[in-house]
This record gives sequence, structure tokens and C-alpha cells, in this order.
Amino acid sequence: MKIAYSHLVQHLEENPSIEQISDSLFQLGHEHEIDGGIFDMEFTPNRGDCLSINGLLRDLAVFYTVASNQDIFTEKLNELLIDFENLSESICTQISFLKLEIDEVPEIYKDSLGDYFLDLSLNKNNFFTDVSNYLSYETGQPTHCYDANTINGKLLFHEIDGDEEFETLLDKKIALTGKNAVFSLNNEVINLAGVVGGKSTSCSANTKTVIVECAFFQPEAIIGKSVKYDIQSEASHKFERGVDPDSHDRVLRRFIKLVNGHANIKDMSITSYKSKDNPITQIPVNVSKINQIIGINISVKEYLSYLSKLGFVIKEGFIKVPSFRSDVKTQNDLAEEVARVIGYDNIAISEISIPKSEKTNHKAIENKLRYFLLDHGFYEVINSPFVSLSSEEAIKVDNPLDSNREYLRTNITNSLIDNLLFNERRQKDSIKLFEISDVYSSSNGINKKRKLSIIASGRVGLNYEDFSKKINKKYLTTLFQEILSNEVFDFEIVSRELLNTKIKNEIVTLEVDIDRFSTDILSYTETAKLPEGFAQYSPISDLPSSFKDISYSIKDYSKTQELQDLLLNYQSDIIKNVYIFDYFKNEKQEEIKIGFRFAFQSKKTTLNSAEIELVYNDIVSQSLRIEGISIPGM
Amino acid sequence: MPEHKDILPPKLVKDRGSLHPINHMKDSIMNLLISYGFEVVNGPEIETEEFNFDMLNIKKSHPARQMHDTFYVENKSNLLRTHTSPVQIRGMLEKKPPLAFISGGKVYRKDDDSTHLPMFHQVEGIYVDENVSFAQLKDLIYKIIYSLFGEDVELRFRPSYFPFTEPSAEVDILSTEGKWLEILGCGLVNPIVLENCSIDSNKYSGLAFGLGIERIAMLKHGVTDIREFYKSNLDFLSQFK
Repeated sequence: MKIAYSHLVQHLEENPSIEQISDSLFQLGHEHEIDGGIFDMEFTPNRGDCLSINGLLRDLAVFYTVASNQDIFTEKLNELLIDFENLSESICTQISFLKLEIDEVPEIYKDSLGDYFLDLSLNKNNFFTDVSNYLSYETGQPTHCYDANTINGKLLFHEIDGDEEFETLLDKKIALTGKNAVFSLNNEVINLAGVVGGKSTSCSANTKTVIVECAFFQPEAIIGKSVKYDIQSEASHKFERGVDPDSHDRVLRRFIKLVNGHANIKDMSITSYKSKDNPITQIPVNVSKINQIIGINISVKEYLSYLSKLGFVIKEGFIKVPSFRSDVKTQNDLAEEVARVIGYDNIAISEISIPKSEKTNHKAIENKLRYFLLDHGFYEVINSPFVSLSSEEAIKVDNPLDSNREYLRTNITNSLIDNLLFNERRQKDSIKLFEISDVYSSSNGINKKRKLSIIASGRVGLNYEDFSKKINKKYLTTLFQEILSNEVFDFEIVSRELLNTKIKNEIVTLEVDIDRFSTDILSYTETAKLPEGFAQYSPISDLPSSFKDISYSIKDYSKTQELQDLLLNYQSDIIKNVYIFDYFKNEKQEEIKIGFRFAFQSKKTTLNSAEIELVYNDIVSQSLRIEGISIPGM
Repeated sequence: MPEHKDILPPKLVKDRGSLHPINHMKDSIMNLLISYGFEVVNGPEIETEEFNFDMLNIKKSHPARQMHDTFYVENKSNLLRTHTSPVQIRGMLEKKPPLAFISGGKVYRKDDDSTHLPMFHQVEGIYVDENVSFAQLKDLIYKIIYSLFGEDVELRFRPSYFPFTEPSAEVDILSTEGKWLEILGCGLVNPIVLENCSIDSNKYSGLAFGLGIERIAMLKHGVTDIREFYKSNLDFLSQFK
């Protein structure tokens, strides 16, 4: 909600700067940004009472002296005779109608009404609607204006349950479904209560006689309607959060005053309906409880002074909560009020000491498995559980994001296959992934299983020992026998026939319940150490990579290290990584053969062969300067 | 020809995998909290409305309960938990105070854009004992934030609103660019929630806090797009060894 600084400060005797008000608002818990002289406010959902100038002033009153200049019409008003019936008094406990007739529609707005449209750069609509919108901004109470000439029958407020057509005053046609609180006239819905009025009864630029409706609707009846029907509605935003049920008389009298400041009123009358008295919340004065909750030590005088400034009334040992603060019900609520006034950051810390728990290492087996897999080059992944494929046991999401995410997965492996293909498309030729997750299914109730799934394909590793070895069932079986020699795991080969890939490497998977692993695994000693800090991420490239291999013959063994130092540390913006993929020492021929693989990739552009050759030739040139080293065939 | 018969082969570089950065961050935070005395409790990701909302004082009218905010399953008989708080409810129902629980894991909300994902991770904690105060909560939060971001970090507490805590606060840290960044939510456990778990709120009070793991991981690792965490791209994952 946007609120102009000038509209607030005119009521504050101390004339605080925009920065001072901003600091005060933050202390009170009202987040905002400042754009020019405008506060763009974001209120917590429990503070619907602050969605107005007056609401904010009520809170700011703890820091400043508020002097209101909002005059109201104070004279006696005639009783309005209107054919109205409230059939849903549990939803609308209180409603008032004001009828006004003016002689001429004003073209120019002045004073606070004029400032509202000017300072907030708002578009005008029609006079009565404009007054209504301003009044909502000033008081927090939405009102709705009907052109009185269109109200030519019995007006009903009721909750309908079924399909109805409704055209809003914004020319939007809506198909109402389910339960909706509405106003009807001659069996036609003319107002979606608390959200938006209808076109057929709305005011126009020519409207001179208006019926202003001022109501209290239970938030539960309004919540979700604006989202359901995709309507931007300031009124529903306020009704959903609760408005002040005791404000109607003052709001309508203020309406009259504003109209009267712009036009000559020929006739006016008012009527109110109230099905029950509004509940009054009273909480015993208990400053020691407040001190205990916050961890402070304030006097009862100081305590009550804070609450008085916020509009609470103290009488006979009780704190009477004002009607606009429906969110305050308990001592903890009052403690929050006090803490806000003091300022959360001004509350001194009190040392906490939590008794130590005896239980530790809650997922010992699972963690040991993770470290074991890490040691063998596996990367942990996390996948979304939402999938499109259904199986008989899959749990269906009632309200999925889209049809591709309509079910919860019943296995992890399919997610890992997608992960594998994703990485193969990025030219990865050694892929080892695992995921541990809860998996849910439905058969005779909801079943939960915690599972480990692994997938591996391609080279065993990117080093000279493992480069030419391919991952297969035997490799993984041997691996797992290292930690659980008595267990046999059912590794599976995934057929590539249905996968959109030309790569032929075998894909090996395993999906197994975590419960299957015995405590034997706890004897495994991991070599991997977890990172002590948090690595700074370097943005990755999605552009294609190119690979270049260089194989050397080394006769002077002493130069081997020099060559490694040069190539493994070679610096270039387009070299992504380099490793030794081949090493062979031929004792008979007194020769070492060593092969290096370079991966080229740019973060900015797809590399062309000339760019790669330039770096490649420099590598070759620099390496051949080392005596006793040659590149066979070159 | 020099004699180098005993020359060693090149160092064999075996590629070590990595934990997922989100799990690593979650484990780090949970281990920190365990060192403070918290005990780990676990719970299901598929929850009932009772545990996810009712017991936590989230009323039927609360927007979070709408179909556009929460994933419901099995003809609305259950839902995907929207926070890890129901685990603490289960813990409080099983054990009497004093108690100190943490729970961590996946949670789900019906969001999907560049800054929000339908699945993300939380760690939450609760401590219930006699005379637990907001001033003590502040002490705990300072300890957590200082451990995560160093003792030079500037932080502030802002009043906020959660149905299950009262008073409630959000905590921001000041970034090196001078912007306040929201880090966690916390507060004193709403007495209604304690009573829902048959804990005498006249005798006991509690504190609770919750952290979004992705947000902290993004800040600590310098990741700017939350979606990167879940692409399973080896070029991304290999940076977190």
C-alpha cells in the first residue's frame, strides 16, 4: 500500500522528517520502501488496522503527538428508508447505508481529496467512487457506492452456493462458483461482497444520487475470492485482514463532510443494521507476565503508558482492546505491543543455556553411506518429487502446478536418469550420482520409505588409472562389497533404447531402502573430509566444450614433473580443466608415455577451432621447450 | 641418459564427489544447533491439516491454507507440509518440557518462479522450559547468526507475524553492499500452540525459530539463481567439494 509522507506528517505535531518516520515504522514492524515522498508499505497479515493513514497514525502515536484535522458531519441525520434484508447475518454482522443527493457533480477536487489523487498520481473515476476510495485510504474502511437510481427493488445480502454470472464495474465478466457472499437486486448479483461491485448499479460521472454501503464482513467469507476470480481489490485486501466494526457512523459522517466540501448536498439520510454487538476483548493488567515474556523489567506505569498511546483503555485492572485491534487477545499479544514500542533491538540479551541432549548422530548409517559414495566420486543430487508419470501407487496432487507435475514420484531412479542425460548432453563422460530421499506411495494408506538411489555411467574416473575402465555392474558390486561384504545388491542396467541419446555407455542403477543397510557400514572409515568453509560459486557455462589430448614421450625421466607442473597449471580463460588420462613407464625402452586431456570451454561464446588451436599450439610450444620431451608424430 | 629408475608416477587424482550444497548447509546448521543442546526429531513430508495448520494456530481462514498456496493430496485428505513446524508439534506431543528440538528437511509451497521453488528446505528449532523469554531468544539468534556469518555481521530484529509465535520477529543481516537481507523468522511460542500440545502455558514458555536453507546457501556460496541448486549439473555440484 502506498502512503504519502505528506499525508502523515500533516497530522504529527513534531513535524518529523521522512527518515524519522521511516525509522519509527521499522521499529513498529511496518516494512516499507521509500520512493520519492511515498512509503510503499508491506504490512503483516495481522495488522489490517494499519492499512490507512489513520491506522498508521494510531501506531505512530507512541512516538509523536497526533493532531487530526479530519472533520466529520456532526448534525442529526434522517432515517433512510431502504428495502434491504440481510439473510447472512453471520457473515455481515453490521451494515450501514447512507443516501446522498447533490446538485452538481464537482470537477475539481480540493484539500485532502485533491492531495490524494495528486500526490499518489492516481486516476480519477467518478466523484462518489473517488470519495469512497479516498475514505478507504484515510480510514481503512472500504465503502461501496451504488447509483441510487439503479436500486429499484429489494436489496438482499446473502451467501449463494452455485453458479452465477456477474459483471464487475471494471467490465469483467465472472462466473461465480461455489459459496460467495453477494448483494442481489431482483435476483441479479450486483456486488461480490467485499471484493468488487457490479456494473449494472455502479456510479458514473453523471451520478448525483448515491447509496453508500458501509459493512463489516467476516474475513473468512472474503478470503481467497480476489485470487479465485483474479480481481485486484483494495477492498478485499482490507476485509480479508479485518476492518474496524465500530467505525461505520464516523466513516459515513466523514463521507458527508468530504462531499459537502465539494458540492451542495440536497438530501441525505442514513440507516444501520446490526445483528449482534461486537465482542470486546479485556485482558487483566499483569506487568510481571509482560516482563517475563520479554525478559525486561518495566514498571506498571511505563507499561500502561505504552498501551494507552496505542489506543488501549485501562479500567479497573483490565486492558480493553480497541475495536480496530482484533489481533490482540492474550498477554503475549500485549507483550509484543510493548516490545515494539521499546524496539526489538533495544531489548537486552539474556544468556540462554539449553540442557544438552543425550541423543546424537541421528542419521549415522545414512551419513556413512553418503561419505562412502563421496569417496568414490559420487555427487549428491536433490530432485523435485513432482512427476507426470502415474503408477498405481503414485500419490496424486489435487492442485498441481501443471500436468507435468501431477504426481509424487514412487522411485528416485527416474529422476537420476534425467540427471544423467542432462549431464551427458553437457559432454560429461564419467557420471556418478546419488540421492537419498523419502519416497511416498499410496496403497492402503500413505506409505513412506527412505531410499538411496545411485546411478553411474561412463568412465570409472578421470585419471590415468580409471580413464579406460568403464562403469558396469561388476564395478559397482565390487565397490559395495567393500563396505557390506555379506550383502548382495541388485544393480540394474537401464536400457538406452527409450532414452533420447546416442551414447552407448552402460547405465547402472541401484535403488534400495535405507533400512536395508546394516550397522556394519559404520565401520567404514571415510577418506573424504567435508569442506570446512563455504566455497564461492563461479557461474558455469552452458556452452559446448571441446577436448584436446596431447601425448608425450619422455626420455629424461627427471622432466616428468616439470611437464606436469607446466600443463596442470597452464592458465587460460578457455581451459575448463586438464588431467592426466594416460601414464605408462616402459622400462625396456626407458621411456615414459604420458597423456594430458584438456577441456576447452568459454563462459561467453561458443569456441571456434582457431581459438582453441591458438591456446593448444602455445601449450605444445611451451612443453616442447623442455629438453628430453617429444610428442610422437609431431 | 640420467638414472631415474625409481621415479614416481604422477599423483593419482581420484575425483571425490560432493554433498549437495543444500544438504551440506542443512547439516552444518543442524550440527551447530545440536552443539547448543537441541535434539533432532523427524517427521513426514505428507502431513494432515491438523498438524500443519490447526495445531499451529493457523486458522481455517489463513491464506496459507488456500489451494493456491498449499499442495493438497489424495482428495484434500492430506497435504505436503508447508514448513517443518509440524514435526515440532509431534515432538511436543511425545515429550514433556523441558524440551529442545530441531527438525530439518524439505517443505512445499505452491510457488514457482526465479526466486521461489515449489520445494525448498527449512531447519526449525523449538525450546520449551520455564521462563523462556524473548531476551533469551535474542541470545540464541545472535549465536546462530554469528556462527554462520561471523561476529562482525550487523543484524537487526524486526517485529513480524507468525500465527504460531507471539511476539514474532524477523531477523535481517546487513550485506556488504549495505542492504538488509532477511535471514530467519523467530518468536516466542504462542501459548495457544503449547496448550494444543497439552503443555501448561502458565508454567512453560518457549522460543522457536526457522531458517530457509536455500537463502542462506545462496548468500554463503554467492549463488544468485535458486534454480541452479536443482539442475544436478556436475559443473555446478563439483564446486562444493
